[in-house]
Amino acid sequence: MKLKLEKFGTTLMSRELGSEAFKAFQPTLLELYPSDELEIDFSGVLTLSSSWADEFLSPLLEKLAERLVLLPSDNLSVQATLKILQEANKRPFKFRFTPLDIANDLTG
Amino acid sequence: MDERLLKISEAAEILGVSIDTLRRWDESGKLTAIKKEGGTHRYYWEKDIEIFASDLFKFASDWIKEGAEFPGTFYCPTSAVFQARLVKMERMIMEKPGFEKLYSLIVLVAGEIGDNSFAHNLGKWPDTPGIFFGYDIQKGTIVLADRGLGILETLRRVRPDLSTHVKAVEVAFTEFISGRAPEKRGNGLKLVREVVLTQPIDLFFVSGDAEVYLKGANKSFQVTRGPNVIRGCMAKINF
Repeated sequence: MKLKLEKFGTTLMSRELGSEAFKAFQPTLLELYPSDELEIDFSGVLTLSSSWADEFLSPLLEKLAERLVLLPSDNLSVQATLKILQEANKRPFKFRFTPLDIANDLTG
Repeated sequence: MDERLLKISEAAEILGVSIDTLRRWDESGKLTAIKKEGGTHRYYWEKDIEIFASDLFKFASDWIKEGAEFPGTFYCPTSAVFQARLVKMERMIMEKPGFEKLYSLIVLVAGEIGDNSFAHNLGKWPDTPGIFFGYDIQKGTIVLADRGLGILETLRRVRPDLSTHVKAVEVAFTEFISGRAPEKRGNGLKLVREVVLTQPIDLFFVSGDAEVYLKGANKSFQVTRGPNVIRGCMAKINF
C-alpha cells in the first residue's frame, strides 16, 4: 500500500495536526494485509516538521517496524526531519531506493 | 514623489489596530500623526506607516517586556492562525530567487519555534495567549515571540534540578526531553539547532536571561547570559 503524505496537506507542521492525521489514517491502516508494506511517498510535501512527523511516522514505525518503507525525497525539510527522528527514536527508518536512484549512484 | 497621505482609519486598517490605539500612540509619541493646519483630524504618510510596521523585533520585544500593543496583523492568537500565516509565508519564500530549495528549512525553523510556543503553553498562558509572528521576506527576517512560561519553567516540570535559564535553554536545544512528558516530545529545538548550524540561516533566541546567537559561516552552539530577563521566548531568524 502506498500513502501519499500530501493528502494530509503540503505544509505538515504542528504536533496537533500530526496526531489528527494519525487518527484519521487508522481505518485505512486496517486494510493493510499483514504481509503488505506501507510505502510513504513524500512527493508534493513542501515542508515536513519533526513535530508533525513524530506524531505520524514514529507510531507507524512502532506498529509496522520493517513494513514501514519510506520513499526517497529531495526536499530538505523531509531529509532533516527524518534524520532527527531516527536519532530521537534511536531506530532507523527503512528506505526504498528507486531504480533511478541506483542509476544515479552508479553514474556518480 | 508618490507620497500618499492616509486617513487615521486607513492607517488603522493597515496596521491592524484600532483608531483609539493610533490616537494613544500619537499622544505618547510612539507614532506621531500629521494634522493639517488648523485641523484636528490625524493623517499619516503611507511611507511612515510602512517604516513603523517594519521594526518587527522592537514590536516583539516591547510586547514581551512591557506588554506594549503592536499591529494586530502580527498576532496569532491560536495555532490554526499561525499555521495559515506560515503557509502564506512559505509561498513567498519559495518565490524568492535562490530559495527554491532552502525555503522548506526556513519554514521548518520558524514553524518549530512557533509550534513550541503553542504546545508548551496550551492552557497555561500567564496572560495573553498566542504569539507574535512577523516577517519581511525581502529583508530575510522572521520574528517570533510569546508571553508564555518560558523554557526554564516549562522544563522544570520534568527536570526539577534545572536552576538557570541558561542551563534550561541548553537542555532544550541539545537533549531529547519534553516539557510535556510522559508524552513523547521534544525534538523540535534540536532540529532547529541542527538546521541553523549547517545552513545559511542565522538565529537569535532568548528565553529568560539565556541567549543563543548563531550567526555567520562558522557557527558554534553556545548559550550565554544576557543583560535582561524576558518573559516567554523570542526568536529572530535571518536568511
